[in-house]
Amino acid sequence: MFLAIKEILHEKVRYSLIVTMVVLTSYLMFILMGMMFGLASENTVAIKSWGTQSVILNKNANASLSQSLISSSDLPKLTDKEALIGQVPVVMETVGTKSSHKTSLQFIGLKGNQFIAKDKLVIVSGHRVEKANQLVLDESLKDKGYKLGRTVKFGNNSNKYTVVGFAKDAKLNVTPIAYGDLSQWQTLRGIGSQFAASGIISKQAHPKVTANLTTYSVDTFIEKLPGYSAQNTVFEFMIGFLMVISVVIIAVFLYILTMQKLPNYAVLRAQGIPAQRLINATLGQALILMIVGVVIGLLLTVGTGAVLPTAVPMLFNWSLILTVALAVIVMGVVGALLPVRIIKKIDPLDALN
Amino acid sequence: MTAIELKNVDKYYGQGIARVHVLSDVNFLAELGQLNLVIGPSGSGKSTFLTIAGGLQQPSKGEVWIDGQDIATLKGKERDRLRLDKIGFVLQSYNLLPYLSVADQFALVDRMRKGNLSQEALNTLLVDLGIDQLVNKYPGELSGGQNQRVAIARALYTDPQIILADEPTAALDSARVKVVGQLFHDLAVKHNKAVVVVTHDLRLREFADQVYTIIDGKMTKED
Repeated sequence: MFLAIKEILHEKVRYSLIVTMVVLTSYLMFILMGMMFGLASENTVAIKSWGTQSVILNKNANASLSQSLISSSDLPKLTDKEALIGQVPVVMETVGTKSSHKTSLQFIGLKGNQFIAKDKLVIVSGHRVEKANQLVLDESLKDKGYKLGRTVKFGNNSNKYTVVGFAKDAKLNVTPIAYGDLSQWQTLRGIGSQFAASGIISKQAHPKVTANLTTYSVDTFIEKLPGYSAQNTVFEFMIGFLMVISVVIIAVFLYILTMQKLPNYAVLRAQGIPAQRLINATLGQALILMIVGVVIGLLLTVGTGAVLPTAVPMLFNWSLILTVALAVIVMGVVGALLPVRIIKKIDPLDALN
Repeated sequence: MTAIELKNVDKYYGQGIARVHVLSDVNFLAELGQLNLVIGPSGSGKSTFLTIAGGLQQPSKGEVWIDGQDIATLKGKERDRLRLDKIGFVLQSYNLLPYLSVADQFALVDRMRKGNLSQEALNTLLVDLGIDQLVNKYPGELSGGQNQRVAIARALYTDPQIILADEPTAALDSARVKVVGQLFHDLAVKHNKAVVVVTHDLRLREFADQVYTIIDGKMTKED
């Protein structure tokens, strides 16, 4: 480490540039991980907050909640571990304000006596839905000017609703949820009472269903959420490529630096200094550069997380980020094995040429 | 006592019609307590001789003995250790790392081996060479002559039995040549070391105990 540290301290500009590259790639990697988990969370946070183990849908709905309709005749006997939900995408519009404000969201109709409405909604202000014309909105909508007591309507439907509460973790498919009464779902969906719900959320892994229904595990249901898998795959590829790029950067930089130092190394070899000592110096340099770069990248990520507005979907899974940070450091040192091959082949004779 | 001995050494480079005969039947003996000067023009084989005498490469034919060991019998790491412990190289290209200060050049050696010069002896050496005020400087901040003297001090720091110098006075003025010549002579005579200087600087001749001439790979010893 003596040679590694001395050289880094003496060649501050050169090594600062390398560290900067590592900082930028690791920072970008961590931010992308934050976005990946943030978006993944906003896709699924409501489903997870309900304690879902399985989802029962119409067997022809292809695992899509928005395509599923469960008729009253197909409804199985529900236990206290099942809850009906009616889902429909809507555009919510403020009523009685100087300028109307429109917001796209998911309406989720619930039955007040079933477990989701009773136990699973985390109300951060106001109260639960108690009447058919009441709504509980995702808390992020507070930032868009929605307040308790505000009157809203949905699209062309003339029914008016009052905002009576705000709930935490009320997002589905990255869209805020408006929780309301299940009877209103039928109205908003434009269907009659022959349909009981879009689906059934169950806290059991294998609930009993009738012939026209099918059960999906929560993992399968989430995987089949529109765009969810594709979005995660894109992020995973980006993060993977960045990891490879950071390794290539450190390998190329160290390779070039080693090539420049070959005459010095040849002199040291001529003096009898073992090649292993020079290899250790190079690997030590890679380790120092990667640790410093990745730690700065982590600090920047923490700082970014602290100042980002809540509207940005960002969720830091620190145990995974630290694991990836460690992997990046190890891969950077592995990248340094490229110049190590050259050091092994240094001929001390070159010192005299 | 014999420090280096070359017996009937030949060295070829290349093969077939491209083969170059660099050293031809070279016999050389360096005793402890002597300054040996090897003089020859450019391309005469001086540097090849030095690399073979220093165990950096093997001869094509003949034997090389360093400190009583036939280097043909030594493995790579053993030859590294022999060079580190027994030989101090003073090279034309200097033997200094650009990112280490003068003081750190010696600190690096301390990390490689024990039994180097004491701090007091090192200070005396630096004063003798006129570089005691330069310990915090980097090679890039020194003149060619100052770098050469730091390189000499660095080579002597391990207190080696054998000192091999390749054109050690190339960057020095006449006054410094006398200082370095006298230093090498004192090291040989007073400190009982075998000093071999390869040069075409005839100003060093007055300090030598033995003078060899090498021309076209053939070495002759002057009477």
